[in-house]
Amino acid sequence: MKRIFYYIFLFVGAITFLYPFIWMISASIAPENEIGNLILFPSHLNFNSYKLMFEKIPIARAFLNSMIVSSSITIGVLVFGSMVGYALSRLEFWGRDAIFYLIIFTMTLPFQITLIPQYILIVKFGWVDSYFGLIVPYLMNALSIIMFRQYFKSIPQDLIDAARIDGCGEMRIIFRILWPNSIPAIITVGILTFMASWNEVLWALIVIRDESMMTMPQLVTLFAVGGRAESQLGVKLAAATILALPIIIAYLFFQKYFIQSMASTGLKE
Amino acid sequence: MKKKYLPYFLVSPYLIHFAIFVAFPVGFSIYLTFNNWNIIAPMEFVGLANYKRLFSDATFWKSLLNTVIFLVIHIPLQIVIALFLAELLNQKIKFRGFFRAAFFLPVIVSGVVVTILWQQLYGFDTGLFNRLLVKVGLGKIGWLTDPNIAMPAIAVMATWKNVGLYVILFLVGLQTVPPQYYEAADLEGATHFQKFFKITLPVINPTIFMVVVLSTIGGFSLFIEPYVMTGGGPLNSTISAVLYIYKQGFFYYHMGYAATLGFFFAMIILAVVVIQKRLVEKDR
Amino acid sequence: MKMKLLIPIILLFIVSCDSEKSSRKVDMIYWSANNTQEMEFAAKIVKDWNDKYPDNKVLFQPVPEGQSSEEVILAAVVGETTPDIYSNMWEGDVEAYAQAGVLIPLDTLNGFMDFLNERCDSATIKEVTSLDGHIYQIPWKINPIIQLYNKKMFEEVGFDKAPRTYSEFLEAGKKIQKDSDGDGYVDRWIGYAEVTVTWWQRFFDFYPLYLAASGGAPLVEKNKAVFNNDAALKVFTFLREVYKQKYFPKERISARQDAFLSGAIASRFTGPWEIAHAEKFKPKGFEYDFYPMPVPDDFDEPSYTYGDPKNIVIFNTCSNPSLAFKFIKYALSEQSDLKFLEITGQLPRRKDIDINKKYESYFEKNPKMKTFAAQAKYVRGTDQSPVLKEVFDLISQEYEACVIYGVKTPKQALDDAEKAVNLLFIK
Repeated sequence: MKRIFYYIFLFVGAITFLYPFIWMISASIAPENEIGNLILFPSHLNFNSYKLMFEKIPIARAFLNSMIVSSSITIGVLVFGSMVGYALSRLEFWGRDAIFYLIIFTMTLPFQITLIPQYILIVKFGWVDSYFGLIVPYLMNALSIIMFRQYFKSIPQDLIDAARIDGCGEMRIIFRILWPNSIPAIITVGILTFMASWNEVLWALIVIRDESMMTMPQLVTLFAVGGRAESQLGVKLAAATILALPIIIAYLFFQKYFIQSMASTGLKE
Repeated sequence: MKKKYLPYFLVSPYLIHFAIFVAFPVGFSIYLTFNNWNIIAPMEFVGLANYKRLFSDATFWKSLLNTVIFLVIHIPLQIVIALFLAELLNQKIKFRGFFRAAFFLPVIVSGVVVTILWQQLYGFDTGLFNRLLVKVGLGKIGWLTDPNIAMPAIAVMATWKNVGLYVILFLVGLQTVPPQYYEAADLEGATHFQKFFKITLPVINPTIFMVVVLSTIGGFSLFIEPYVMTGGGPLNSTISAVLYIYKQGFFYYHMGYAATLGFFFAMIILAVVVIQKRLVEKDR
Repeated sequence: MKMKLLIPIILLFIVSCDSEKSSRKVDMIYWSANNTQEMEFAAKIVKDWNDKYPDNKVLFQPVPEGQSSEEVILAAVVGETTPDIYSNMWEGDVEAYAQAGVLIPLDTLNGFMDFLNERCDSATIKEVTSLDGHIYQIPWKINPIIQLYNKKMFEEVGFDKAPRTYSEFLEAGKKIQKDSDGDGYVDRWIGYAEVTVTWWQRFFDFYPLYLAASGGAPLVEKNKAVFNNDAALKVFTFLREVYKQKYFPKERISARQDAFLSGAIASRFTGPWEIAHAEKFKPKGFEYDFYPMPVPDDFDEPSYTYGDPKNIVIFNTCSNPSLAFKFIKYALSEQSDLKFLEITGQLPRRKDIDINKKYESYFEKNPKMKTFAAQAKYVRGTDQSPVLKEVFDLISQEYEACVIYGVKTPKQALDDAEKAVNLLFIK
């Protein structure tokens, strides 16, 4: 008996979280007169909203931009994060602890303080409306360093010593020896970084003005806020769907990793 | 020789990045607070004028108050719902993986998408909520147009978006409760509620504090939701501090003043987070 | 040894300079607005010019598409990548750029004042004169904001055209207001204006009404707020009543289909661009027309309105301003203005637009544009002030509190707005 209540609550909960997304997708492929109906199954498929969206905004270009930006940031964060994490966990050098505490401190620093000066830096570097402006400030991430440091600590020293005897340089050790043994850390940092940069919108709104350089969330935001959707709900929802879909698809496949990664940020606090 | 410098080579990307994108901006931000600058004309030293303006700037204080309103609704709601759902998931049930994945979905989706969707749900004439209200014979509510309701409405939306993450965190916490405790309690005939308050709650206390800290930091960065949904209105009831900084900086190009707002606001955040952390540590 | 090295370097330098020159085949870069019609016009005029003056080639580019053209221009100024000529400058932005020293004072160019006097009347020239007495912009085009109305809906309630006075407007508002599906909520209104506080939304409600009620008075003059007057009070009182009686919806209806064409609202304060939109999307049998902005009851002068002027500026990155001016003169000739009118359906800002024989046939063919041409004499742009956006923003805040939410009286709201605006000017 109690069981049934559990399932009722869980089911209501699941509907609450899923319904808006299902509606979004079905309304975006519904014929125009059905869009406002909050239906789940359109009477027939109609891709007009998508056609209009492709006409109105360079969404394909924005998708490419987002891909380039998010992938570059993710690769950068993985490479630099593991380099620094390795030095901090496995090497002895003067100032190591100081650097570690510096990293911890920067994690607590609210971004609100650096927002304006960082924008001015980008302007002075001439990086407004460029990939550099979107990528470079995000190439380093304190949390990823901490995570790599933590993970590398758990790898047996023997492995590293053996590699050294074989004449491996430190860079080789990081990428050939440690990386294959740190897949969970790489996945966690990779997912977190990719997701965060894919969904980032405030920074893009600040440094990108040229429509052909805009990232997907920025383009969709401006499209939704500005007048160009010309009050056509279907087009807006089509844009939202296109923005959400890549992450949702990735989530369907790597659901467990997504949940673990996100949860680990909380647990590390 | 080579060995000696190698660690520094490895950490150098961090140090360079830190110098350019953290240390310099923080220093420059403090410098900016004493200047007026619209980027195109030369900078003008104004002493403490920006701070004076900040203290008499009703909109800024309103944005702080809005943040407090947001947090006061968002945090308790989040904890109660997340705990409730985590408790359910912690029972012996089928399809746990499905439910967990469903609750978590909004967490991974862009805030822009969530905001666009909820704007439709909150719509006055055609929104889902008002349609339901009318159907059960109640009046329509101006979810985003009534100054008293708009911010709570945004807080509810934010809860919906983030609660999945906290369900998972609580679930991890709940699973650390040793099952013997419950067995012992069962032997003594304890009710469900007694078990929850006497056994579960003390164990997951640290998780609760963590949720509070994380949600507070999240609440302080509120931006895209009011930016898309309300533009900060009605009557500035949903303008958040970050939105206001953005407006001053990138609408009006008051770089000096925006930097002052950012600096001052960051100090408040630091203070709040430090106080919260102290409380957590004391509790432990 | 050193000399030997130096010579190739110098040679290289000369060669590279030379190649730079030859690669720059144009003498001037011109940015236009990036909508299809204006791009078509700009491409045509530049082609004609280049055919006529092959030694002074102009390169035309639409302003890069961005968040808004204002922001793109600002980014260009900051990055020093401005074009020589820009033709879509909002009048309210000019003063800030002029004070930053990035615009060329055009009145210092030979023959400029003669050209301007021939094109514009003295009121317009006064309007575009900056605070320092120089002129940094050439008035180019306007899109006056007036009433667009649904003929049938007004005829149904006994009006053969849109209301002229506030009383008539309120009367019509009462008659048009309707709850057609009987759910207890009004779903038909006389009009709609955006309820968001975004500063430029006031170009479509408060500002044109204020200009109409005041005979074209400024909001700020010489760094002082001058809008706290009888006209503003009447506008606030009128609009407050409109919202209080629910003649305008307070909820955003922009999220649905076009409210005007679907008959949910009977009128709207808007510009000539609606003609193309309506012709494309209107349902069968739909009839609409334009009429000047409503005015207070006892007002019997012509009603002014906001013209949304876009002007032409020359940036100081331009190496040959007099050549740029020559090009602009060409692009603004009688003949070019006719082309512009025909291609874009926007009005060139010239004093003879409604009487010049050259444009007669266009207005014969496009009778709806006649109302706008007649209105052209009575339009205002914006006041010269480097903080104009903030002025509109502050008025907008008070407008929201008073007109839309009714939590302040018009008097209170205007007093507060005046105080806040004057604070902007304290140094």
